[in-house]
Amino acid sequence: MGFHSVGTPSPLYATVVRNSICEVTQMSYQAANPLADDFELELGGAWTAYWLAFLRVVTGWWFFHAGVTKLIEDGLAYSYGPMYLKQMTGTALGPIPVLMGEHLGWLIQAMVPLGETLIGLGLMVGALVRLASVFGVFFMSLFWIGNAGFGHGLVNSDFMGLLLFMTMIVLATGRYYGLDAIIEKTKLVKRHPKLRYLLG
Amino acid sequence: MQQHTTVIDKAAMALSGGLMLLGVVVLGIVEILAGKPYSAAPLTNDAGEIIATPMVDPTLRTGLVLAGLLVLALYGVYRLVAPMKTETATTQQEITAD
Repeated sequence: MGFHSVGTPSPLYATVVRNSICEVTQMSYQAANPLADDFELELGGAWTAYWLAFLRVVTGWWFFHAGVTKLIEDGLAYSYGPMYLKQMTGTALGPIPVLMGEHLGWLIQAMVPLGETLIGLGLMVGALVRLASVFGVFFMSLFWIGNAGFGHGLVNSDFMGLLLFMTMIVLATGRYYGLDAIIEKTKLVKRHPKLRYLLG
Repeated sequence: MQQHTTVIDKAAMALSGGLMLLGVVVLGIVEILAGKPYSAAPLTNDAGEIIATPMVDPTLRTGLVLAGLLVLALYGVYRLVAPMKTETATTQQEITAD
């Protein structure tokens, strides 16, 4: 059926054809972006930016709260830190946590509250997010293995926290309403583009 | 923008993903099929006595996940050390058809 055979198509016919073409185009499955037809979720999209920034701030608050309350109560002498590491025997980390607890006790006492606070702050303001999240993964690995709350399987809240920090690294969430978006435009970062692996 | 993955990128993704999924999912299925306890912790009675232990040692499973994370960490270090991928600035020339 061609247009030439019936002359000028009626407005109704033209609308039906146009709608059919649109429907076929929109219904086509896009392997690169399976959500494209239902919900715009491109990495540069508004909803993506909103959600990743929200997730980053909440994750940051989680660590900031944990760190700052330790600072308020114990200052830089969080004695439970080395004790916690010393009891981590027979884990997949081998003797590493116990050795850390025995020989780096003074550092652990200060770095647990300070580290948690700085990681949380970094994530909340969106500065040095990837670097902060690497330390977040390190902390969460120790908590996941140390707490060993595997009663309902390996995937528990500690592991989900670990995955949250991994997500911050993979998706460079500091670039969404975060200071890293501004920092990455500075001359220093443009001269040393590898800094973006620590920012973002 | 199209991203190009190198062999190293693919190897890092495959190895880290494989190790972590093996530790969490595959051995998790094995644990379920082996009967109680279905999780990676020993089962105790009301008195606190252990009545069943996991078939797969949780140390092995967590170790596999940590190994996967280690692969990703090493990949991150590699990306920091290796020269950056430079985008070849190619401009398309318009050629008149014959």
